[in-house]
Amino acid sequence: MASPALEPFPVCRTAELPPGSRRIAELRGISIGVFNLAGQYFALRNRCPHRSAPLCEGRLMGLVKADQAYAYTTEREGEILRCPWHGWEFDIRTGRSVALPETIRSKCYQTSVERSEPEGRVDTYPVSQREDMVVVWLPKPASTERARDRPGDP
Amino acid sequence: MKSDEPASAGSDAAAAKRPAAPSPQTELIIDTDVHHSLAAKEDLYPFLPSHSRERLAEHGLPRLGNVYYQNGGYQGIRADCLKSPDEDSAAARSSFSLFQEKLLGACGVNVAILNGELTAAFVTLADADYSADLCRAFNDWTVANWLSKDDRFRCALTVPMHQPEAAVREIERLGGHPGVVGIYVICGSPRLYGQRCFDRVYAACVEHGLVVALHFSGEGAGMNPPPTAAGFPSYYAETYLLRPQFYQAHLSSFLFEGTFEKFPSLRVVFLESGFAWVPAFRWRADTAWKALRSQTPWVKRLPSEYIDAHVRFSTQPMEEPASAQALGEVLEWMHGANSLMFASDFPHWDFDAPATVAQCFPAAMRRQVLSGNALQTYPKLHGLARA
Repeated sequence: MASPALEPFPVCRTAELPPGSRRIAELRGISIGVFNLAGQYFALRNRCPHRSAPLCEGRLMGLVKADQAYAYTTEREGEILRCPWHGWEFDIRTGRSVALPETIRSKCYQTSVERSEPEGRVDTYPVSQREDMVVVWLPKPASTERARDRPGDP
Repeated sequence: MKSDEPASAGSDAAAAKRPAAPSPQTELIIDTDVHHSLAAKEDLYPFLPSHSRERLAEHGLPRLGNVYYQNGGYQGIRADCLKSPDEDSAAARSSFSLFQEKLLGACGVNVAILNGELTAAFVTLADADYSADLCRAFNDWTVANWLSKDDRFRCALTVPMHQPEAAVREIERLGGHPGVVGIYVICGSPRLYGQRCFDRVYAACVEHGLVVALHFSGEGAGMNPPPTAAGFPSYYAETYLLRPQFYQAHLSSFLFEGTFEKFPSLRVVFLESGFAWVPAFRWRADTAWKALRSQTPWVKRLPSEYIDAHVRFSTQPMEEPASAQALGEVLEWMHGANSLMFASDFPHWDFDAPATVAQCFPAAMRRQVLSGNALQTYPKLHGLARA
């Protein structure tokens, strides 16, 4: 996981983020949602690319499909995030829009569960709390990320 | 196709009297919306079973809906088509030689697609069998008196859309005729046309290479719901302004019922709908789909992409924005170079002539508007493109 361009940020312990749950954290001033899908962790920016809504506060849905008209099927329950403001759907695993995956996507971040002592600011945590730590990896500050996210920010 | 040559000897006289066509006569001109009609109820007698013939004889032709009791021009048509100022318009509406002279001749129209204006009267009748009989008779009358006399005339079949199984029977009966290029469907309807009860009609259209030509009329007539959410307008000018919503309702239905997913080769033509509303509709439809995709997951693409692939619009009545630049933007936003087809609406009073309408469009678009888009849209006109 460790890339020289990425910086680790601990979010919580795995016990605090059971399957199907989410946690929204502010990491270096950026609001990020971390989701546990059946033991896998995914992190998305908590800002919808459409109208800057707090995307990660949206409802978790299944992927509704139809091979032909009126033939509904639902799969991947809980893996589709529906933005609370205008209903755009995003695949939590990829950050891509369900409707237009090639052109619309939410910013995603790498995650990992760190059992050993990670680099950087994780050092500030006591060792006993570092085990089973869910970590989100952000690009190092040379990036152009905004310092603060507020709902409605352009 | 040597479409300036009449098909039959019978029309040579009319051809001889035809005045020289104005430019742009070098261009093929396809008129997608021409309205022919009956001179009198007796015209249909040879084509009706006896019980329906007796009924027509006793009660007369059914009327168009009350929204259209008033119209512009003179009884709805160009006054210059009348032989005398007070003549009833039925004579002109049904005059084969007048259509040859003033449309094919004077305007240089090479192919005129006839859409019978009494359709609304026939298909708003609750009596399913009488309605179907009148549609069938009208189509047979059209074939015998128009298509068979001059192959520049084509037609869209009048079908009783309110009873889809009867509409399919009529398509199967006459859809194979070389001059039949579509079905003519009015916006007034008990149901929105994307709904699945109509799928069998579209399957028949695709099988026979027919487009679905949608035209306002019949709103609020017979069994049909009122033309607005708040009832009936008082004046004809209001119905003129209301038209886009009729088409928008059906277009929404086509898009979200998945009609174009079910019938990938289906083409729908919107006649006399106006078109400046199309950009805003495209944007709103795309917005709605992005937000509500999961409710209609069979809609796989942006609605605007289905419109590009499946829906065409006629030019008449030309939009008249305050500036030519505004029209150019609308054309760009609606992909008008690929979606607009010339229509005159002859012999109606709000007629547009091809020579003057062509001037409204950028030079690079004119051929597409006058013929190219129609050639590509109507499967049974594809052959003309090679001639």
